Amino acid sequence: MRCSPATSLQEYARGVAGGLLFSLPLLYTMEVWWTGFNAHPFRLLAYVLTTFLLLLGYNRYAGLRRDANFLEVAIDSIEEIGIGIVVAALMLWLLGRITFDLGANEIVGKIVIEAMTIAIGVSVGTAQFGGQGDNGTAADKRGVSNEESGERQIGGDDEGAGKDRGVEGDAETEVNFGGQLVIACCGAVLFAANVAPTEEIVMIAVESSVWKLIALMLFSLALGAMILYYIEFTGAKELVLKGDFKSVLFGALVTYAVALASSALILLFFGRFEGVALAVGLAQVVVLGVAATLGASAGRLLVQ
Amino acid sequence: MSKVEKNWLEWLVFAISLVLVAGTLGVLAYDGATMGDAPPSVEVKVGAPQERPHNFIVPVEVTNHGDETAEGVLVEVVLKQGEEERERSEFEIAFLPRRSTRQGWVAFKIDPRSVERMEARVLGYEKP
Repeated sequence: MRCSPATSLQEYARGVAGGLLFSLPLLYTMEVWWTGFNAHPFRLLAYVLTTFLLLLGYNRYAGLRRDANFLEVAIDSIEEIGIGIVVAALMLWLLGRITFDLGANEIVGKIVIEAMTIAIGVSVGTAQFGGQGDNGTAADKRGVSNEESGERQIGGDDEGAGKDRGVEGDAETEVNFGGQLVIACCGAVLFAANVAPTEEIVMIAVESSVWKLIALMLFSLALGAMILYYIEFTGAKELVLKGDFKSVLFGALVTYAVALASSALILLFFGRFEGVALAVGLAQVVVLGVAATLGASAGRLLVQ
Repeated sequence: MSKVEKNWLEWLVFAISLVLVAGTLGVLAYDGATMGDAPPSVEVKVGAPQERPHNFIVPVEVTNHGDETAEGVLVEVVLKQGEEERERSEFEIAFLPRRSTRQGWVAFKIDPRSVERMEARVLGYEKP
């Protein structure tokens, strides 16, 4: 399983590309920088730990090496956070957001808050940007057959199994409900985090009438169902329970529930519930839920 | 548990990452544990006036000694001759994080060196 340093360097570079791609909007958002020094250190600590758990889940169920044991998954997750910290520090310095005359807590806060989304992006980039198409080097890549066939090695419910994707290797696939939840959560966080810290979410939430919010909820549900079951998104066939109206409704509801929970979590982290009436807090969750649904459905299928 | 096989680069990256992650967690935990909950306490220091082609400017250094961020910090500098107020200037700092310092300038028409004293103070700030 050991590969050459050149190959792993390439893999890290892919990770960096993924990290930048997915966290770019956050690197250029003022509210995120502000949260870096406004948030209590313990909140940042909780953020790091939550991201670590999310990475463990993603690397376990969708990462490059799905057959890896817990230790390897943990090592990968720590590496991803480490790369996230380095990339965040470099980018923030290049963008003039951290300078050496700022207080230590401000520098650490800004880096931490940016590094976590970058870390998730690194994980997704490492798993997704390689493999396909480079037949020559594919052989020496770790876990290459898994990576290219989208194969799941985890046991579990096996609806939708045995669909051939027409790529090389064995395409025996099983839909693992728990794993799908974790990946849906990652997708939701990855996409919703990009808009969550902005003032716009609060503004829309405050200005929306109840009917608009209900319309947004129905829209989100329909969006999730459409992406997962109708448009034949790449990978949807293998990864999503197929079938009758009942399972479509179930899948869409679960996806939306994951989206709402993720959006509540992100808003909580950015301190959007502080000094806010319950109705406004809930409205924010629903407003952000649209982005989170997109992440939990299309995003999930993309980052598998 | 099976053996983890890695090449030297991967071990290096892992080692650096481990140090960074552990260090970050340590710094955050220490910072959180030692941090009080004092409201912003803002100190204003004025430097030596400088002459510019169109006006006179005075560097101002504003420091927050509290444990909370102050937002929209309004700083005022008054030039006084005895009890008589000669000129007044102000500027605003968008964010002044806890335990940190920001710098700015106030501008005057008259030469601040020609009056008896400069009085600097902070007018107010928001909780972010």
